[in-house]
Amino acid sequence: MIGRRNLSIGVRTLLALALVILAGFPVFWMINTAMTPVGDLYANNQRIVPDFSRTLNIFQVLVSDSPFLRWLGNSALVAGGTTMLSLLLACLAAYALSRYKFVGKGLMTFGFFATQMLPEALLIVPLYSMFMTLGLLNELYGLVLVNTAFAMPVAVFLLKSAMDTVPYEIEESARVDGCNALTILQVMFIPLIAPSLAAAAVITFFDGWNEYLFATTFIHDTANWVASTGLASFIGEFTTPLDMVFSGAIVFTIPAAIFFLLMQRKIVAGLTAGSVKG
Amino acid sequence: MVSVMPQARPARTKKRVRSAPYIFIGLAVLYLLFFTAFPLLTGVNLSFTDSKLLNPSAGTYVGFDNYSALITSGAFLKSVSTTLIYTAATVIGCLVLGTASALVINGFLPGRAIARTIMVLPWAVPTVALALVFRWIYNDTNGIAGDVSQGLGLGQVGWLIDPNYGMLAVVIATVWKLAPFVMLIVLAALQSVPEELYEATRVDGADAFTTFKQVVLPQIAPTMRVVALLMTIWSFRRFEIIWLLTGGGPVDATTTIVINVYRQAFNNGNLGLAAAAGVLGLLLSLIVTVVYFFVEQRATKANGIES
Repeated sequence: MIGRRNLSIGVRTLLALALVILAGFPVFWMINTAMTPVGDLYANNQRIVPDFSRTLNIFQVLVSDSPFLRWLGNSALVAGGTTMLSLLLACLAAYALSRYKFVGKGLMTFGFFATQMLPEALLIVPLYSMFMTLGLLNELYGLVLVNTAFAMPVAVFLLKSAMDTVPYEIEESARVDGCNALTILQVMFIPLIAPSLAAAAVITFFDGWNEYLFATTFIHDTANWVASTGLASFIGEFTTPLDMVFSGAIVFTIPAAIFFLLMQRKIVAGLTAGSVKG
Repeated sequence: MVSVMPQARPARTKKRVRSAPYIFIGLAVLYLLFFTAFPLLTGVNLSFTDSKLLNPSAGTYVGFDNYSALITSGAFLKSVSTTLIYTAATVIGCLVLGTASALVINGFLPGRAIARTIMVLPWAVPTVALALVFRWIYNDTNGIAGDVSQGLGLGQVGWLIDPNYGMLAVVIATVWKLAPFVMLIVLAALQSVPEELYEATRVDGADAFTTFKQVVLPQIAPTMRVVALLMTIWSFRRFEIIWLLTGGGPVDATTTIVINVYRQAFNNGNLGLAAAAGVLGLLLSLIVTVVYFFVEQRATKANGIES
């Protein structure tokens, strides 16, 4: 591998260092700001090196009397609900796409892909009036329902390509033993595709966790806000101290960042599978 | 139906025609019909009415009035060009920076695992948190970007309040978040470039740029075309990062079609007009997708003739 691109390691190391600084800076700045006492933030000589003695300051946002902890809980509920509903629907759909030939299969596959193209901003107008009629506005499970519509197709493609790699022989033998398709799916497929299932769970969970547009449009009651709406509400208001705002942002980011970094390859595969393989 | 003679068919269950697949896939299909297709049709229907937000069902049909109002309004046409500029800038920015990052990090490097993790990090940061930190970086009195622009001799640039810089600020933040995604995909494609190809050009004494142009680029080009399409479609419909950074401002400098749709609907209450703008935006991404598949097919044909 060494020197295979004729660019010396020295040059590449320097370039990599520059890219690391570029990529890491905003996250570093978020941490630095959260650790700086508010008075110093607006001083002309803002500190560049974080004050690590104030590390625990970040997590005080969780125990303070701000509603942030409650919003995080709401986010977790919405994200968890989105994950369960998406995976249930996606497992069944992926199994049909992977194991059966049927009329309309191509059209349905295209339909799943086409949902990726729909602008939420167009759908949100009719969805808003639909949800108003159905009494789903202001409800957390309303968000679960709408997030699932956008998260589930990605899970379908990811699970379908995982199921495609499971040999037919395995289910043949089970079928001979008299198992029906649903049992085969439950008992044989789910354990075999567990890694992809985990990846799909992470993708759908953080779709629900990060989602902002529907959450901010559909939920008016601040007690039912999710963390993304709550954090965004700090924009342009000046009563909440900035170090507190950034502490909240960090606490909100940590779970998403950890899981995304752990699952990066699977997530990329999931996001591109639908378009690459059709 | 056909399953009267199951024995005559091949043993693979895949070939049988039965109701099971429709039951399995039916739930997901019905779900999507209800939550995406039905609202989509409702949206198209709304676009021909003068419905208002306060009473969505009370609108009357106005034919193509909304559409003709839009295509003759300077504000809408400007939002189309803003969308195209934003899309071109972010797609090109992400492809260039993402591919360059992938090339730098591919192969042996000291501390590669840590470097790679930090380089992927921006992609893992939720958009809302990203918007908060970029607004603080761009802050016109205390933001660090102001210090940088002063250092560069540009003076104190109001990144988010000066119409000349608003788009640049939004594009930088978008590229920062999404270039890592391109990097991951290109990195995966680079791993599949056969080692012998590098060997051959190295023997020829080619420099790094020639190697990239003649050996690496043709190998990763199909991947990059797919990424370009995905990035383009996503850019057309991207809402949150723009909305949270500038809200479409300063002075409409970053009002893309989707921002326009949202403002029309929820700030002005004109559901009909908003829906029409949304439909036109959707048509735009459809056109791009069709063009993409056309180009892709020609590329495949051309390759077929070569080999």
